[in-house]
Amino acid sequence: MVMNLIFILPTGDEIHQGIVRDIDSPEIISQSLAAFPQAEVTRIPPVLDVEQTIVEKIKDLARRQPDLIVLIGGSGGGHRFSKSLGKDFTHTAMERYLDEHFSHEIYGKNGHMWCKLIIGKKGPTIFINVPGPYVEAKSAYEAFLKGLASGLDLKEINHAMAEAVLSLYPSQASLPL
Amino acid sequence: MENQYIIAHADKSVLKISGLEIKGLNTAQIEELLAARMKTAVRVIGVTGDAIEMDVYNIDPEQIRRDERGLIEAVSLAEGIRLTDLTKMVCGEKIVDVDFDSIPDQPLSACARERWIKW
Repeated sequence: MVMNLIFILPTGDEIHQGIVRDIDSPEIISQSLAAFPQAEVTRIPPVLDVEQTIVEKIKDLARRQPDLIVLIGGSGGGHRFSKSLGKDFTHTAMERYLDEHFSHEIYGKNGHMWCKLIIGKKGPTIFINVPGPYVEAKSAYEAFLKGLASGLDLKEINHAMAEAVLSLYPSQASLPL
Repeated sequence: MENQYIIAHADKSVLKISGLEIKGLNTAQIEELLAARMKTAVRVIGVTGDAIEMDVYNIDPEQIRRDERGLIEAVSLAEGIRLTDLTKMVCGEKIVDVDFDSIPDQPLSACARERWIKW
């Protein structure tokens, strides 16, 4: 599958305010251009961690009918588990917007959700999210592109992305619930 | 719609360094600096203008606490961070396991934590 138009949407108050430098978007742009040298790849200005804002933004972007929208960050349990952590609304925003999707939730053994990865398609556009930590974003997107190039379906690509993120946690084994 | 659940069996502790001035932090760099110091994986999970919260894997929290000065010095080398007189480090205990045998197949609540505690 060839991608000609890709939008990258970083999320997070800390990214928006410049407290944290967005190093994920350049990595995803780089990988995208390596895979699809002819593509137009656009990094959208970061959105705040507000579910409705994220939903509105992806609706707006989808009107331009890109081949792919990549949302970055906000993929964990975040504020649901710790008051000091950021608000994680990317996955819930995607679930609200997408009629059909596949997802993997990675839980720590303490019962907290560490990451939820979603993939779905609406119209001509594939939607995915990647976690905010750089190594996880990089690895998840590599797995996405590899799966796409191998002709995997969306469910299989989602699984490959989850496995890629899971493999970065040291000394663990996966168990389906 | 289909959702799969995976459990990551990793030991970790939460390390928080507060009393910082942060602007333009390169999180990958700070992860590398601290991983090199502690010889284990580190992941930045939360950043505000004056504090960083990180997951540190497979290391005794007491070992982390004993090296407070060294770790703060390592953090100070990262781009986008300045130490202040108020800089300090707090490291929590290792995460506590929950009983997987009693987890229901289907979520009962939108809140994952509540879901686990209920059972």
